[in-house]
Amino acid sequence: MSTHSLVFEQIITGIGIGSRLFLVAAGLSLIFGVLDVLNFAHGVLYMIGAYVAIVVVESVVGSFVLGVVAAVVVVAVVGGALESVFIRRLYGRDEEILDQLLLTFAFVLIIEDVVRFVFGSGGKSLTPPEVLTGTVPLGAGLSVPTYRGFVIVMAVLVLAGLLAVLRYTNVGRIVRSTSSDREMARLLGVNVPRLYTGVFVVGAALAGLGGALAAPAESISSNLGNSIIIDAFVVVVIGGLGSFVGAFVGAILIGILTAVGSEVIAGAGEFFPFLAMIVVLVLRPTGLFGGAEV
Amino acid sequence: MTVLELRDVNAYYGNSHILFDLAMDVEENDVVTLLGRNGAGKTTTLRAITGTVPRREGHIAYRGEEITDTAVERISRRGVKLVPEERRVFPTLTVLENVQLAHELAADPRDVEETFELFPVLDDLRGNLGRNLSGGEQQMLSVARALVQNPDLLLLDEPTEGLAPVIVDDLREVLGDVVARDVTVLMTEQNVEFALDLGERAYIIDTGSNVWNGSVEELRDREDLLEEYLSVGTGET
Ligand SMILES: Nc1ncnc2c1ncn2[C@@H]1O[C@H](COP(=O)(O)OP(=O)(O)O)[C@@H](O)[C@H]1O
Ligand SMILES: [Mg+2]
Repeated sequence: MSTHSLVFEQIITGIGIGSRLFLVAAGLSLIFGVLDVLNFAHGVLYMIGAYVAIVVVESVVGSFVLGVVAAVVVVAVVGGALESVFIRRLYGRDEEILDQLLLTFAFVLIIEDVVRFVFGSGGKSLTPPEVLTGTVPLGAGLSVPTYRGFVIVMAVLVLAGLLAVLRYTNVGRIVRSTSSDREMARLLGVNVPRLYTGVFVVGAALAGLGGALAAPAESISSNLGNSIIIDAFVVVVIGGLGSFVGAFVGAILIGILTAVGSEVIAGAGEFFPFLAMIVVLVLRPTGLFGGAEV
Repeated sequence: MTVLELRDVNAYYGNSHILFDLAMDVEENDVVTLLGRNGAGKTTTLRAITGTVPRREGHIAYRGEEITDTAVERISRRGVKLVPEERRVFPTLTVLENVQLAHELAADPRDVEETFELFPVLDDLRGNLGRNLSGGEQQMLSVARALVQNPDLLLLDEPTEGLAPVIVDDLREVLGDVVARDVTVLMTEQNVEFALDLGERAYIIDTGSNVWNGSVEELRDREDLLEEYLSVGTGET
């Protein structure tokens, strides 16, 4: 294999990683932007999505599409319950941020243990459906694994969908107004408690989708959430809080740095993303797209 | 019919007790002005009515129903709309989006185009972001946003504060139209002339307590009150 195509392959691998990372980071950023909640449990929601997809595809229906749909729905419901039963109780407390951290981190520990208890600690994975196997030739001797291409397309569609909803719909206006001035939004009649649950459900659904899409791409185990949540925080810091475009660019950047970095220095995949974060924070503390419109 | 009734209303920010047993009545189609010097508790009174003060006690009834423990958005949905002191235009939404949002959130809104007709200045700025408007334009937008919601009770917190005289005149004209259209209004003002011009009845409060109330005509002749509680004629502000 030529260096040229090796580099290309690593970049595509990185964009694939970044695409799944984007789905997690976008939800994390959306929830923080609207609710001011840093959801540490977002990584385990992703992990739950992966397990639901595996279980549904392997033991229930055998259809990948239904597995993905089930993962999105189940994780959305779990997210909605998490917000409306637990996180809601912390709004307006004096030590709100610390309490949120403790609560969501407790969920990380509990959910991880439950998953380990039920599924064991070994890695699992899913075979992608027939149509998504193989590679798609791009010409010039380069090609993209079909499944990876599919994940990238899904991420781009999600980004486009989120931006369109935010910009052109009433719900989008409600989200944008509430994230800039919660009290004024309520004075105009926004049902903030309901909006919060809705936003949490959507953020969780994105994590569930990401997890389901990860199942055929990597080995799934109960600590899947830990690695992705750290990277997602790095992405949100690099991209700028509350910006979907920032989350996308940040996620792709981190994906590529991870994939290419581990090729340059074996085992140092995490080194470059953190280096990038430090550089961004020093040069542009609000993140690449920080302060921009959501 | 009594639209708004306050009895023994107390309000607090943390440990600071701000309103003391306040009482007030606003009747159907009244235009009531709430007067008092800076820090008297006018804004806090409006915040107690809308539910945005951290803690309120006593009785606040809107059209006969207690709203003392009702959530902010529910009070709003019932038709009580506030134009806040700081305007609070959404900075990352355009002028049109600010109005559309308000329109979509109201139970029984006024037509968007009809609302823009009341505010020719805003009509030309539809695509501009809220944060790029001048102070006067922001105030117009804040009022437009409340009017498109077709309020039953309109609360205005110092609508003329910091506005150039020509803009105050524009605002007086628009609000005069609204008043003519049978909207019940409760507003606070430091600009006594504006308040007396638009208002029909007045309440004066000082350090969170009732001091006086009566008709605007009576108040005009009470220079003692104007001087003591509103710093009129003393050269102070
Ligand atoms: N957020 C707040 N926290 C603590 N004290 C406040 C707050 N807002 C206003 N106050 C105090 O409450 C009193 C009444 O303020 P306010 O209602 O804004 O007066 P006015 O609108 O008549 O100028 C003032 O003494 C002010 O310092
Ligand atoms: Mg005030």
